[in-house]
Amino acid sequence: MKNIIEIKNLHKVYTGGTQALKGINLNVKEGEFCILLGLSGSGKTTFLRCLNRLIEPTSGEIIIDGENVIAAKGQKLRLIRRKIGMIFQQFNLIKNLSSLTNVLTGKLGYSSLLHSVVFSKNEKDVRIAMENLNRVSLKDLAENKIKNLSGGQQQRVAIARALMQNPKVILADEPVASLDPATADSVMKYLGDLNKKDKITIICSLHFLSLARKYGTRVVALKDGEIVFDGTPKEIDKKRFKEIYGEDAEEVEIR
Amino acid sequence: MKKENKLKLILKAIFTDMFIWVYISGSVSFLINHWFEVTIPGLHIVIYGSVVGVILMICGISVGRKMFLSTKRINKKWYKTFWGWSVVLILFITFIVGWILVEVNPYKFFTKFTNTSGIMSGIFNPNLDILIVSLTALAETIYLALLATIFAIPFAFILSFFAARNLMPKTLIGNLVYIIIRTFATVFRSIEAIVWAIIFSVWVGIGPFAGMLALMIHSIAALTKLYSEQIENIDYGPVEAIKATGANTLQIWVFGVIPQIISPFLAFTIYRWDINVRMATIVGFVGGGGIGLLLLQQQQLLRWHNVGMIIWLIAVVVWIMDMVSAKVREKLRGM
Ligand SMILES: Nc1ncnc2c1ncn2[C@@H]1O[C@H](COP(=O)(O)OP(=O)(O)O)[C@@H](O)[C@H]1O
Ligand SMILES: [Mg+2]
Repeated sequence: MKNIIEIKNLHKVYTGGTQALKGINLNVKEGEFCILLGLSGSGKTTFLRCLNRLIEPTSGEIIIDGENVIAAKGQKLRLIRRKIGMIFQQFNLIKNLSSLTNVLTGKLGYSSLLHSVVFSKNEKDVRIAMENLNRVSLKDLAENKIKNLSGGQQQRVAIARALMQNPKVILADEPVASLDPATADSVMKYLGDLNKKDKITIICSLHFLSLARKYGTRVVALKDGEIVFDGTPKEIDKKRFKEIYGEDAEEVEIR
Repeated sequence: MKKENKLKLILKAIFTDMFIWVYISGSVSFLINHWFEVTIPGLHIVIYGSVVGVILMICGISVGRKMFLSTKRINKKWYKTFWGWSVVLILFITFIVGWILVEVNPYKFFTKFTNTSGIMSGIFNPNLDILIVSLTALAETIYLALLATIFAIPFAFILSFFAARNLMPKTLIGNLVYIIIRTFATVFRSIEAIVWAIIFSVWVGIGPFAGMLALMIHSIAALTKLYSEQIENIDYGPVEAIKATGANTLQIWVFGVIPQIISPFLAFTIYRWDINVRMATIVGFVGGGGIGLLLLQQQQLLRWHNVGMIIWLIAVVVWIMDMVSAKVREKLRGM
């Protein structure tokens, strides 16, 4: 399998001097489900947001699907972003609009400038949006406003929105951190499904090792902006765990 | 504590005390002048006040020292301290001066009620003959308030995006535009609509058009502020999410920002119309036309029964507007 993501010597220094990323080198193969572990503040969010340039990296090189992300500007950058779906911890949907409308915004990167002023609900897009909602088992809630949905349902709408982009890669920043354990697992199932059936490459930061073991094909751990572990989920034993989370940490089992 | 900080605090304390004692000596001079007709020159007032203030500050018993320099928490009851009594003195003098300036006169209040017999009988016996004329003037007022609101919307809408901190780029020009628009909005809003009405009644002549322009200017300023604050309070998450899908800047605004602000904008706008109808009445008094102008004319002619009619109509309209706007806003909140 070829590398779909190649990252060389990625640095991020925030204004104020925090070194959030200190030279990350990472290649991700097409079809991998890569779990990102690490304590709060270890740089997971910064890393994921650098990949689609929601945050400007300070230096380094990022190649995604053959395109140089760092050098891209304007239209070129938007075309790259279009290939990369993003899932957020807080779902980031527009709360007073319906699920369907929110899902449709995932298609914006494909629409012409004219379409961008009026929300023309073109028939083909609506059909695809409904298919994607069906994919996450939410067809019946298409017309419901987001604010009337549960957290798990909202995150599934967000997944459907990402699917609208026809993404090659999905970046998920703690997608289940604000959900209860059972809901968390069901949301992860949908991501796992996309990974297996659609061969979408996924990088997903998580806090629960159990979920990492269940869905990840690979685990990368960050500590203070550096990669401290890169391997398979099985390789994480007690010793490795303490290396990632510190001496005092104990694994809490979440099913 | 750093040296410069300490110096700053000392200066603050000294100025506070000087200000307080100049105020006290000024007020006392006013009272002396009022009761004994002895005039004390302004320069003396300032000098005496300042000197007393500085001396008390140096003695360490002043209000300024208490406010800025007291570090130890001394649990002395306020009435055992000098600064406590200074505050009492300030309040007492302010009350006396206020009473005199406002010409408070309870005697008149309780004995001269009969003076109102004209207007009272007018209110309870409104002259129905002028109903049509009044309704016409009232329509003028309502429409001028409506047009003022409608014309203000596009200006305020566009300006508000440039007056929202979170949308303006953090560059020199971005900051400059933000500051200029915000400053204009604040200044124009703090100039009462009644002042604008005076200006425009000279500009375009007395009548509803002048009133409309006055309310429009005021509404633009007020709505710009409300709108932009709403934009500053939006949830930035969805905006970022839409950016991440590859949307362009215009799309980000149209699909990420506008859906979040549209219903609060509508609510503010309807509320503004409600306010404008009330203001339109007042604005009419100074040349803005409509029911206000009619009311002024009838009052000057001492036609109390006509005045009564007009007052009833205004009350009813304001009441209806109030109710309708509250209902609509209630609905919008759920959206
Ligand atoms: N916008 C920011 N400005 C300055 N420092 C930041 C910013 N965002 C994150 N940081 C810092 O960068 C480091 C990494 O943070 P983050 O990427 O959010 O880690 P994680 O997602 O693993 O919790 C932390 O030390 C954090 O305080
Ligand atoms: Mg994070």
